[in-house]
Amino acid sequence: MHIDKLEKKWAAISLLIAALFVSVILGSAFFHGIHAPSNVETIDSAKLHLSAEFAEDKLGAQQNPDGSLTVRMVAGRYGFFPKTLTLPAETNITFRWVSLDVIHGVHIPMTNMSTMIVPGYVAQVKTLLHQTGDYPMLCNEYCGMGHAHMWSNIKVVSKEQWQALNKQGENHG
Amino acid sequence: MNNLTEEERKKILESSPVGTWALIIIVSSGMVIAWLLMYYGVFLPRGPIG
Repeated sequence: MHIDKLEKKWAAISLLIAALFVSVILGSAFFHGIHAPSNVETIDSAKLHLSAEFAEDKLGAQQNPDGSLTVRMVAGRYGFFPKTLTLPAETNITFRWVSLDVIHGVHIPMTNMSTMIVPGYVAQVKTLLHQTGDYPMLCNEYCGMGHAHMWSNIKVVSKEQWQALNKQGENHG
Repeated sequence: MNNLTEEERKKILESSPVGTWALIIIVSSGMVIAWLLMYYGVFLPRGPIG
């Protein structure tokens, strides 16, 4: 097959740009120790309310002995439960999500937090929230007629504020 | 192009496409710079997910 010399040069430039992007991503992943989320854990979506981890009174943020947080949330048509959360900034947070019906997605704009929530599986993502403020939490996977209304709120406060809220028992998370 | 002699026409067709190269360099470098700014300026500062 004959390929024009000029066309080969153009293809080489495109491939070089793609190779540059991939090497930058891989380089920074190695340098910063970034691992793609890879948790595979199954759960019975029909019995979440009976499960030890995702029963209604277990949802929200829980502080671990090392100071990090585990946030457990349930996604269902058309909302995330609990509806509001207050979380500390600059704290290692492990989000654990389950769906009680269909496939949902969760995205917190202005952060890198985004994942798909597949029924039957626990979606787990570890992250840090740097900036304090109010964030919406949106479903980004079409889940039915009410998909556009499926959202809730996260309030990110400083670590000190979060500790104070927890002591006063006002924290929804 | 119609007013060119056959010799001039041949010279143009056989010469390097300077304008195209200039355009490709400007567009490619613009895209690479914009991508690097988004990656290092927006994506990484938001914190990794894992």
